[in-house]
Amino acid sequence: MRSSDTVWHRLLLLLLPGLALCGIVQAAAAPRIELTATAAWQGWSRPGRSTEIDIRLSTDKAVRATLEVLAGRQTVRSDLELQPGRVMRLHMPVGSAGTGAVTLALTVAPDAGSPAGPLERRELVIAQSESPLLGVALAAGGPVGLEGFHSVALAAQDLPRNASAYSSIDALILDAPTLGALDQRQLAALLTHAAACGRIVLLNADPGVRQALEGAGGCGGHTLMPAASLSEARQMLRSSLGASLPTAITAASLAELSRPAQATWNRLAVALAVYFAAALLALVFFVSWPVPLLVSALAAVAVLALLHTVQPPSQLRVWSEGESGAQVARYQAWQQFPGQVRERMRVPIPPQLAAAAQACDPTQSVRFDFDAVRGQLASAEFETRLFHQIRLCYSGSFPMARALTTELRADGLREVRNAGPAAWPAGLLLAQGQVHALPAVAAGARTIIGAEAGPPPGEAVVRTAMARIRPAPDGVAALWPLELAGAADASIESMGWLLLSVVPR
Amino acid sequence: MNQPLHSASRRPAAISGLALAAVTALWWLGSTRLALDDGSDASLRAAAALVALWLVRGMALALLSLRAGALRGWRAGAAQSSGLIAPSWPLVVLACSASTTPLAQVVLAEGLLLVAGAVLPLVGHGLRRLLRRVDLAEAAATALGAGLAAALWYSRGPWSPPLSL
Repeated sequence: MRSSDTVWHRLLLLLLPGLALCGIVQAAAAPRIELTATAAWQGWSRPGRSTEIDIRLSTDKAVRATLEVLAGRQTVRSDLELQPGRVMRLHMPVGSAGTGAVTLALTVAPDAGSPAGPLERRELVIAQSESPLLGVALAAGGPVGLEGFHSVALAAQDLPRNASAYSSIDALILDAPTLGALDQRQLAALLTHAAACGRIVLLNADPGVRQALEGAGGCGGHTLMPAASLSEARQMLRSSLGASLPTAITAASLAELSRPAQATWNRLAVALAVYFAAALLALVFFVSWPVPLLVSALAAVAVLALLHTVQPPSQLRVWSEGESGAQVARYQAWQQFPGQVRERMRVPIPPQLAAAAQACDPTQSVRFDFDAVRGQLASAEFETRLFHQIRLCYSGSFPMARALTTELRADGLREVRNAGPAAWPAGLLLAQGQVHALPAVAAGARTIIGAEAGPPPGEAVVRTAMARIRPAPDGVAALWPLELAGAADASIESMGWLLLSVVPR
Repeated sequence: MNQPLHSASRRPAAISGLALAAVTALWWLGSTRLALDDGSDASLRAAAALVALWLVRGMALALLSLRAGALRGWRAGAAQSSGLIAPSWPLVVLACSASTTPLAQVVLAEGLLLVAGAVLPLVGHGLRRLLRRVDLAEAAATALGAGLAAALWYSRGPWSPPLSL
């Protein structure tokens, strides 16, 4: 009996580790994840332009993973929770890809019962067109060409969900069936692009759709063109391309609207002056040699503490433009983050501005966090250092309901009427090279603009507004400060303006 | 009797160290302000300031500390070296924060300066004991220090690219 017990014990001792090992191997089996990725616009873009990657993910077991999309110097990262039997779809905006190569890397979280590390890796090549790109999204019909353009035939699913991806193409023709097949996010991106003066021809759109889109186009609606036939569409595009459109304000012009971030420089100059004075006094009054040494060491620690404790706020500048009576205004925004110490800084992206966010400098290495649930960028992360200014650029559009009419009277005074549905706050009226104070006016009310002097035209905001009035230089426009309470919190020093041009009738 | 003598010999070195730091700070702050105004990269100026601080302090150490060690012994020489090196520390912290120079390189350079500040007076002191005559030891230490300073100047190329900008 004793010998058989011993044999059983030995067998059990041999079997148990084996069984345990089998269990561990089973539990640690890597999940099978399917990753497919396609680029918007059938994989076409232009050098230096943003685009969008349509990503589909499926798995055979619940797993937490991180997806990183690397294009040029910018990375978009998203934390995902994949569930078996469900296909997760992401539409990630990617910045300019430089050579056109986009890398996708999926990493599984270590707590998923499986080994951590890169699980899936895909390389995607975005074709870079040297010629302007014409997107042709027609449910029926042959190829459409336009002189000097590279045409790309598109289906509804090739159109992006991020407005920033529209920068890849220079003109778009789409017909009513394709428009009808677009989902909500595609429509929103299309309308944002239209508001930003993107050239779009709507082919055979029914009157209801045309009415709905009336006023949605920027630049006085000249860029959102309805056409009855392909030849008419081509003709309209040719005419539109022949006319110059007001370009969006540049990041450099926006930067001029903010005062240079020199608070840190001033503070450090004072701190160094105080230190040198203290060190000199220590040399004069203390005979013992360790005292000046201690002063220098303490000053170095104090300087380091000063850099870590004082964080100047970021500056946000929003410049928006629209035409009197239009439904939308387009905006360009610029946010500058002053660096203090060498660190990796993580900043939230204001949700209202997240539709199209990117580093102003494409050579700047930035990692964006993409919120898979909301489908937009949530934060940005970058390396910073003292006196290093990182700038993020935003663009988009917002609904607007302001309209004004002006009339120059025989006595030389100007009558201004609020033709919009709501009152407007006090602002400035820029007319024929002159700046006047514009009082708050209720809906439907009038005011007379006399000789009240506004701020001098030398002020940066007024100068920028004057430079952007259409028709220049004798046009009439109103300039109001924007309320940015919703877009910026207390840690952001924000300023914004709305320039409303009065289109001459 | 010794303390005032040490103090008198240390003060010029400490004042030189302070003046060197002040001049570099003035140049760095000025060029950084210009860079901020025209939107260019301020890190290049910070890197140049760091290299200038290392180079000038290194050369000054070679010239002064050997001689101080030979004339007044190791303790006085080391005290003089610390007076030359330490006043630049707050500026080094700031320039390091503003530059892209690796932190390890900055720590290593400052560490090497401190080591040199301790070793060079010891070498000077050794020279004096070896040669047994103060005037001879002083001349030898000065010549050796000048040679070291020249060697440092001519070998600066590989590790001080910002200065050649």
